Amino acid sequence: MNETSHSGFELQKAESVSPDPINPKIRAIEVIDTDFHFTPKWDTLRAYLQEPFKSLLFHFPLGSMEYNPEPANEKPGIGQDTHGTASTATDVLRVLDQFGTDIVILNPGYNRPQAIFNEPVIAAIAAAHNDYLIREVFPASDRIKAALMVCHRDPKMAADEIRRVGHHRQFVSVFTSFSALFESIGTAKYDVMLDAMAEHDLVLTAHSEGWFNHFTPLWTGSRTWIELFGNAPAGNCMAHLAAMICQGMFDKYPRQKVIFQEGGYWWLPDFMLRLDDFFMSSSGDIALVERKLAAGERNLRRLPSEYVLEHVRFSTQPITIPKNRKHFSWMLELCHAEDLFCFSSDWPHQTMDPANWVVENPDCIGEDMQKKLLSGNARKLYARLS
Amino acid sequence: MTDYLLGMIEEFPEGKGRAFRAGSRTIAVFHSKGQFFALANRCIHKGASLCDGEITENGTVVRCPWHNWPFRLDNGQNCHDPNERIRTFGVRLDGDRVILRA
Repeated sequence: MNETSHSGFELQKAESVSPDPINPKIRAIEVIDTDFHFTPKWDTLRAYLQEPFKSLLFHFPLGSMEYNPEPANEKPGIGQDTHGTASTATDVLRVLDQFGTDIVILNPGYNRPQAIFNEPVIAAIAAAHNDYLIREVFPASDRIKAALMVCHRDPKMAADEIRRVGHHRQFVSVFTSFSALFESIGTAKYDVMLDAMAEHDLVLTAHSEGWFNHFTPLWTGSRTWIELFGNAPAGNCMAHLAAMICQGMFDKYPRQKVIFQEGGYWWLPDFMLRLDDFFMSSSGDIALVERKLAAGERNLRRLPSEYVLEHVRFSTQPITIPKNRKHFSWMLELCHAEDLFCFSSDWPHQTMDPANWVVENPDCIGEDMQKKLLSGNARKLYARLS
Repeated sequence: MTDYLLGMIEEFPEGKGRAFRAGSRTIAVFHSKGQFFALANRCIHKGASLCDGEITENGTVVRCPWHNWPFRLDNGQNCHDPNERIRTFGVRLDGDRVILRA
């Protein structure tokens, strides 16, 4: 029998609940998360370091040099890992279940070493990270895959690491970064690394990095997190992608696939049109790049936009959705999202995206497209997931 | 509209939120600075549960637990864009009982 209030109104009993914020449709569709940051505890990783690094690298990061989102989020002490930290396979599997994810591709949380101008240190940390994955994380579940960590500042070191452990089937890609700290992965100096990747059919992951504002010319003068992280990666991403295309990377490596992460993508229509237009009128100096000189070729074999469609994919986080439904549909169509987009969460970082948005806009993303975004495109992209 | 009995006042820790199923709705109820507030539980940004959010701005604002979007507890308005709003519901005390109208 229901109670009544003092004024005589009948009261219904409300049930106290712990709502699951993940849309139940997500749990019914296969989800592959292409960008999830895994950060072993430093003491754990240190046990895998070779000497003399093991004895001397007491902690990480080695120095404080980055601007982080604490002042922007008005929350102290959590840095970028706003939603937690995954340091073990158990941690990873717990988060996958929480968010309805079936398969995850771990990216190294310790990608910051790429900002250190000491390649042997980076390579040592990368090797320790990869060995920890192989020995303690991969055996826990076949749901866990990873991008192989390398010192891409030194492509020869990167190639050595790929040849050392790249045969392991749970590595599905090689983790690199785009920022103004290093030449684009598209330049020919990285061919030694790309040669090794080709031997194992590994995807090239190119992830945003480098909000080290005093190191990155593109961001000189930036003061805020919105400038540093909300905007600047797109420019770096476009520059690195243009280098891959215009310097003949895909002509030399016709099987190589690339996934860009956290550089945005809504700029893609203009990027493709602009590169195609410039290619028609001003492509003479393509004959001067290293790969074309070596091959005795004078130009690209295809239109720039055609390389994007065949070779390049984009992870989706952070998605921004306009309120105007037509605009959202057009943006998806103009970016060829149905074929180029692969879902990512970027867990545990501040702008983390659960997969809800993929199934909650059915007027713009139909059921077939939902499946492609959530896992179908990733399965086609990563040779070891197909 | 229906009146729902949520529980006794001592079941609502100060500065925290709880979620309730009221009919077909899920509603977040907050106890802040001695007052009660009720908002639709789902964040309009990307769907997080606002009941898990942090109360800030001297007890007047709830921050979404996923992306920190700030909403006023009293009227559900986003603090940065008044056109963005979470639906609010009436909540009152009846003696020591907390009652929601939704």
